[in-house]
Amino acid sequence: MGTALILNTSTLLTLIIITSPLFTPLLSNTLTASPTHIVRTIKMAFMLSLLPMALFTYSGADTVTLCWEWKLITNFKIPLDFKIDQYSIMFSPIALYVTWSILQFATWYMASEPHITKFFHYLLMFLTAMMILTTANNMFLLFIGWEGVGIMSFLLIGWWFGRAEANTAALQAVLYNRIGDIGLILSMAWLATTTSTWQILPPTEPGTTPTLPLLGLILAATGKSAQFSLHPWLPAAMEGPTPVSALLHSSTMVVAGIFLLIRSHPMLTNNQTALTLCLCLGALSSLFAATCALTQNDIKKIIAFSTSSQLGLMMVTIGLNLPQLAFLHISTHAFFKAMLFLCSGSIIHSMNGEQDIRKMGNLQTALPTTTSCMTIGNLALMGTPFLAGFYSKDPIIESLNTSYLNAWALSLTLLATMFTATYTTRMTLMVQTGPTRVSPVNPTNENDPAIINSITRLAAGSMLAGLLISSFTLPIKTPPMTMPLTTKTTAIIVSILGLILALELLNISNTLTKPKQTPWANFSMTLGYFNPLTHRISSSLSLGNSQKLALSLVDLSWYKKIGPEGIASLQQTITKSSTSMHTGLIKAYLGTFALSTIILILTTTHL
Amino acid sequence: MSYLHLSFYAAFTLSSLGLAFHRTHLISALLCLESMILSIYVALTMWPIQMQASSSTILPILILTFSACEAGTGLALLVASTRTHGSDHLHNFNLLQC
Repeated sequence: MGTALILNTSTLLTLIIITSPLFTPLLSNTLTASPTHIVRTIKMAFMLSLLPMALFTYSGADTVTLCWEWKLITNFKIPLDFKIDQYSIMFSPIALYVTWSILQFATWYMASEPHITKFFHYLLMFLTAMMILTTANNMFLLFIGWEGVGIMSFLLIGWWFGRAEANTAALQAVLYNRIGDIGLILSMAWLATTTSTWQILPPTEPGTTPTLPLLGLILAATGKSAQFSLHPWLPAAMEGPTPVSALLHSSTMVVAGIFLLIRSHPMLTNNQTALTLCLCLGALSSLFAATCALTQNDIKKIIAFSTSSQLGLMMVTIGLNLPQLAFLHISTHAFFKAMLFLCSGSIIHSMNGEQDIRKMGNLQTALPTTTSCMTIGNLALMGTPFLAGFYSKDPIIESLNTSYLNAWALSLTLLATMFTATYTTRMTLMVQTGPTRVSPVNPTNENDPAIINSITRLAAGSMLAGLLISSFTLPIKTPPMTMPLTTKTTAIIVSILGLILALELLNISNTLTKPKQTPWANFSMTLGYFNPLTHRISSSLSLGNSQKLALSLVDLSWYKKIGPEGIASLQQTITKSSTSMHTGLIKAYLGTFALSTIILILTTTHL
Repeated sequence: MSYLHLSFYAAFTLSSLGLAFHRTHLISALLCLESMILSIYVALTMWPIQMQASSSTILPILILTFSACEAGTGLALLVASTRTHGSDHLHNFNLLQC
């Protein structure tokens, strides 16, 4: 009883503290929410959210809190309830820790921004929506959070709205997310009509859930988490400021789709079709993103594709029916990915806005803290033993190897893991080592506690988070314990192969005379030719077909040709040819008519 | 025959003779057509009542629909011919015949 009370109250209090800087300025003119004030608020919310996490680790208790109920009709009530279970309890402190560091970094990064308070308010609104999404017990609240994060993503990507590419990228994000929302609304409608509730429950008969709502959920996850067919918005979202990329497009928003699938695990668990679809889609996205990252030259885009690749890996884990492991990967990934983005932000400001890694080099001497933390983050990303990424990535690869599965998905995922090592090594070596390719005069300065504290805090998280989380959470499904040595060390071997490959390639490219254009390099550089193909073809097809439908078919054909004008033209051809035959003797014609009438009268009346 | 039958019989005959003999204006022909339709309508209404064939009760409604369309078409022709020929005199209509 006491446990549940503390869990509920501390979680609700955390949520209220997060939203408080948004509405305290409305209460009084003297209460302004400055950026440092907001950073302190989030720090306090993080400390408070450690309490339910400790309580959950000790007792394993989870609760559902019902605040209010919208009594729509007798049979279908929509409660406002918060599900405080292992996923939301573990996600809150991690998200708040990462947000705290990002907001502290943003006080330095956006210091010259005139609307910095509005920026922080937008980030807080985003965080509120994300918290609603993670603590939602029913699809209605989840949908509110889902739409909220989508809109805040649009507003934040287009923060520098004077730039045309930023507006295009924001529009792209919203459109691709909307296509995913169709799937979410489809499954919500199916749930409402079939199960008469919007909570996600296991199927009643011991069979499987029909595939249709699961396809809707997978479509929603494809849109939100940038899986293969709906992925172009994620690299384009790098037009937003670096704190936005760090918060939304690496740690929190893009995992919302995967989080939805984790929450829907009771529905997904028996339906092998949906699971196989998740598996193959995730493997394909992982490899595609890793291939595209190999030839990118913009530091933020490399990290964006890396995020996309790890999201594919999370989708693969869902396809293996291991939601807890996917959540573990979400948690550990948040730390090192946010840190990589913050390091790239520090580098970009030090290079006076330069984002091209071909114009950076030898930053180890100029920015020691940033580059060491970047190395830690890259090693964690590659799955180096006993850093954070290892505790989630290695079990995924092991489970993939030891399960009864799809050889194609396995080979794609292993290839993607190798490419991960390759592009991270390439990025590290080109940015940090080698001859200096930067301009001689640079405002290279990382001597600000805002940068140092936030990045090193996340570095500590990247090193310890995997160990801590996996030690204190009890796995629901038994992890595979026995396997041959090569299977056990597959991930390590593949990553080392990728690293050696990157070293070899960089050695060769130091002595190149002219750049080589091969079909594979072209495929990787143009992101698989996906963007120009789909963006042009889909819009021209739909607009052309809709014009044909609306104008030619409906307006011209059905309203005119088949109706009045068609009949009129038909009659006119006949009339024109028979006009010459008319003699126009109306008297004679009507006279015969009168004659027939008189004959009729005479013969039918009984005279 | 009964007085009822006489009334619409006579109405129909008078209207058809009026159609045949009033050849000055188009509109008089249209009016006679209307009264022919009206007498047929009344006859059709009387027939199911007297024969107790109630499923034919819908027939006068159908005739009414078609007569309304026909009246509209006739008036449209009247207006169109007045626009081109200046009046609705029937003997103008073959003036442009070649």
